[in-house]
Amino acid sequence: MLCKNHKPRTLFTCFTIGTFLFLYLPIIVLLVFSFNSESFPSPWKYFSWKWYVELIYAKHLWEAFANSLLIALSATSISLLLGIFFIFYLAQGGKIKRYIYLYYGNLVIPETVLAVALLGFFTLVSIPLGLITLVLAHTVLGVGFAIPILHARYQDLDPRMTEASLDLGASPMQTFFKVTLPLLRPSLIATGLLIFIISFDDFILAYFCAGSDSQTLSLYILSMLRTGICPVVNALSAVLFLLSSLLALMFFSLQSRAKVF
Amino acid sequence: MKPTSLRSHEIPFALGAPSLIWQVLFLYLPMLLIVCTSVLSFSAAGKIEGFTLEKIFAFFTPTYLEVISSSLLLGLSNALLCLGIAYPLAYFMASCGKRCKNFLLFLLIIPFWTNFLLHVYAWFFVLEKEGFLNHLLQTLGILSTPIPFMNTLFATMIMMVYYYLPFMVLPIYSSLEKFDARLVEASLDLGATRAQTFRRIVFPLSMPGVRAGFFLVYIPSFGEFAIPELMGGDKQVFVGSDILGDDTGSLGAAFAVVACSILLLSCFAIHLGLHKVTHALQKS
Repeated sequence: MLCKNHKPRTLFTCFTIGTFLFLYLPIIVLLVFSFNSESFPSPWKYFSWKWYVELIYAKHLWEAFANSLLIALSATSISLLLGIFFIFYLAQGGKIKRYIYLYYGNLVIPETVLAVALLGFFTLVSIPLGLITLVLAHTVLGVGFAIPILHARYQDLDPRMTEASLDLGASPMQTFFKVTLPLLRPSLIATGLLIFIISFDDFILAYFCAGSDSQTLSLYILSMLRTGICPVVNALSAVLFLLSSLLALMFFSLQSRAKVF
Repeated sequence: MKPTSLRSHEIPFALGAPSLIWQVLFLYLPMLLIVCTSVLSFSAAGKIEGFTLEKIFAFFTPTYLEVISSSLLLGLSNALLCLGIAYPLAYFMASCGKRCKNFLLFLLIIPFWTNFLLHVYAWFFVLEKEGFLNHLLQTLGILSTPIPFMNTLFATMIMMVYYYLPFMVLPIYSSLEKFDARLVEASLDLGATRAQTFRRIVFPLSMPGVRAGFFLVYIPSFGEFAIPELMGGDKQVFVGSDILGDDTGSLGAAFAVVACSILLLSCFAIHLGLHKVTHALQKS
């Protein structure tokens, strides 16, 4: 409690409401107009599901959606797997802690620069651009989140838990899989959700490392944006907005979320 | 000491640390590659001819320096604007009750987790000449002719602040949330005013969050390419579009190296600057 029973509190409340209005106003306008029977720029006519029906039949959009989903799932699983390997090695007494600063580079390098560097690298080693290069690129982002977070959560674990397990006769292997990993599970899920979202929404890396014939959702939306305003995008936003609300709800039901931020 | 019955030499390093290999292979090697391509000269056949700084120095011309300085300015102003909005917001959130806190965090996360291009689209919708804002202002009688908000620096800045705000709020919030309220009580008990308490106790102790938020906003907005491109039209050129706009590869890579080094230097300066500001506040 930093400022209870204090006069400026009303001011603070107004400010907060104002900021959230700023954050939500465009989204609300967008959602309302997804039910407009007429296309932009005509004002509100009457309620209709027309654009949602059109959205269902937009075949290319769903292909792009599936691609994005596939990439995000693969990048998340690889990142988490690498994270688990890291913790495993650390738990067995591996001396990897001194390299931890190597994992902070991912956040310091702007994504634009990373995109150029990766593009050059993929061309040099001649990996054809496509879904695979995107998974590789997104995993670089994912590892930058997974390792520092998981490492910090691992440090927070009570060492007496593993000691007790080892004392009671469990092998280091059993201790890792039956004590350490279950204790880290909430952090693993929260980190996984974070990486999934980052990969799913990523635009810059996709723009560069996707090549010409693999489409992701972001690239598809970009191509629709370039052609001007189309209410199908409004309908799509409504659907995606609902989806991210659900994911956020999932994230919030995890106890560990406060520790990811 | 954690008890370990497996000695580390029993686990091969390569098996235990694939993430390290991943880092080196897909982050540091590509970075090294662009540094190399920008300081080496190549013959027409693509063979390495020798070391050169020509490509680097080619960017120290007024045109490119202007691009870099406008990017620095964009990043800095965006970070400062976000800080100005995010600090009171985070402060309010941290001082709420537990339920209110979680609800506000939830509200903050949802737009943060929705595809970034959809936000751009939403603002298109609001700021277009025939869009929502002009429509609203005209209905209210404030405007007689619509203002074209799109393709201006104003639109770029709105979108930048809108998109990067949560990056600033979350770290500040988490450092304020951990704050021990007894420190404030003690300070007030000992006769400090509210303003003094904030200046000397609360703000300096929330500095790790402010610093983290500042860099989380500053670094990506320096290299930002999509927002100025989509919202600002082609009036103002920033580093991001210059790096990416060049398809020949080596020039873009060299510019990326130059911009990245300047970014690093500026980060160092900001780090020192923030340190100085905290000190000055504490002493005043």
